[in-house]
Amino acid sequence: MIGTTKKPLEEVLAALEGYHRIFLVGCDGCAKICMTGGVDEVAALAQELARAGKDIICEATPERTCNVAKSGPVLEPLQDKIAAADALLVLGCGGAVQIARQVTEKMGFTKPVKVGLNSVGHMDTLVPGTMAMEECSDCGECILNETGGICPVTRCAKSLLNGPCGGAEQGKCEVDPERDCAWVLIYNRMAALGELDRLKRYLEPKDYGKAARPRVLFIKEGRVA
Amino acid sequence: MKLTELFRQGKFVITSEVGPVKGCSRVNGGPPPEFIQEAVNIKDFVDAVNVTDNQSAVMRLGSLAASVLLKQQGIEPIFQMTCRDRNRLALQSDLLSACTLGIDNVLCLTGDHIKLGDHVASKPVFDIDSVHLLHIARGLNQGRDMMGNPLSRATDLALGAVVNPNFEPLDLQIMKMEKKIEQGAEFFQTQAVYDPKVFETFVRRAEGFRVPIQYGLVVIKSPKMAQYMNEHVSGITVPEALIKEMASVPADGYKAKAQEITLRLARELGTMVQGIHFMPLGWSELVPPVVTELRKLGK
Repeated sequence: MIGTTKKPLEEVLAALEGYHRIFLVGCDGCAKICMTGGVDEVAALAQELARAGKDIICEATPERTCNVAKSGPVLEPLQDKIAAADALLVLGCGGAVQIARQVTEKMGFTKPVKVGLNSVGHMDTLVPGTMAMEECSDCGECILNETGGICPVTRCAKSLLNGPCGGAEQGKCEVDPERDCAWVLIYNRMAALGELDRLKRYLEPKDYGKAARPRVLFIKEGRVA
Repeated sequence: MKLTELFRQGKFVITSEVGPVKGCSRVNGGPPPEFIQEAVNIKDFVDAVNVTDNQSAVMRLGSLAASVLLKQQGIEPIFQMTCRDRNRLALQSDLLSACTLGIDNVLCLTGDHIKLGDHVASKPVFDIDSVHLLHIARGLNQGRDMMGNPLSRATDLALGAVVNPNFEPLDLQIMKMEKKIEQGAEFFQTQAVYDPKVFETFVRRAEGFRVPIQYGLVVIKSPKMAQYMNEHVSGITVPEALIKEMASVPADGYKAKAQEITLRLARELGTMVQGIHFMPLGWSELVPPVVTELRKLGK
């Protein structure tokens, strides 16, 4: 999922300055899991904004706002509300905000679409409702087959491909003593699998061209450009 | 002079280290910056002097410029190069620049993380790792860049690398050391080690590689500084006994004690390998007397 955190209310209000009638859009996908933009969080923010003097004219929470196939059918029947709004505020990732903008543009509106969250990356849920962790960098060139299913590109603070730096102590990273050294984890995993010899292989520098932004995925062809 | 040449001659290679100033170091007739004076003072006692590259991720005068300044003073610099601040284009370009400006020795490192330094909001680069850097530098020595494009003239650089004998599991660190050798490392400088058993275990694992190693030694300047290293410098452990020994003398005796401990460790641990690399952290004046004693031992 895409991890999100809430922007402080003051920042949201500053973004909405000059706009009175607000259309709130949530996301019942990733933002729901992060407890930042599901139906409940949208309702809670609606109340806070109302207390701050805003007129909340509609609340809508598509299942996955970043997917036009989900957000389009939810927003299209609400065109009169969108027409009446001074601005939309989206509680979703940056992708959800931009898809919401594109959907409104397609409907012929030129409305400000503001964001109420900060996107913090591709996150994998470890403890539901409590903790998610970045375990994949979407680099376009997966090397998990070589590293025991643990990604050094993401979990090593320096994205080292050929083993640890000298900074780890007692299996912990030099950047954060609470964090496991990814390479010690990889080593232990490969040792348990009896595959330490595999770890001795030199891994070439990554082709960061495969992660060069903005990437476009052509789903039918399975092609990225 | 390449360090590799000295090792080939069977010389016990002694090096020290200076950190460039945080500031511009144009002299304009004034006295040279302190780090240059430090290097000048030890020049007759060491084979070469490492010049750190934005050490501890703190922004300073560039390592290449500082290395060239040392070279102009007749001091052999070892140009340290980390992967933290430059992508593969910039690293290769700087290797060409280094060779062009007369640098003979490069030490290829990963580099401390940005978060440990004074520009924590900066974007860490780490486009390639230290093993890649060695591989690429060897390619430049052979006349081609990392994409295989020919160079109009190849570089001619001795390639050094680092290893941390304190690392656990040591096997994993040794694995990386082997990769570095396979990809071009011609000599190693170790992280600071104070425990003879730890160093001996490492030496036994590494001696079969037949690549020269220099024992790394950070001068312990005070009990507080040793404590600080234990708490804040990853990858280094100063044994309690050493801290107590340092604390057994009054503060005005720290320098003499530091010299005594440095010499003892250099004798006990340094002589297990092919050279010593001192990291005096500003106390370079300890290097000449320690080296004089070591040379008396035939080292």
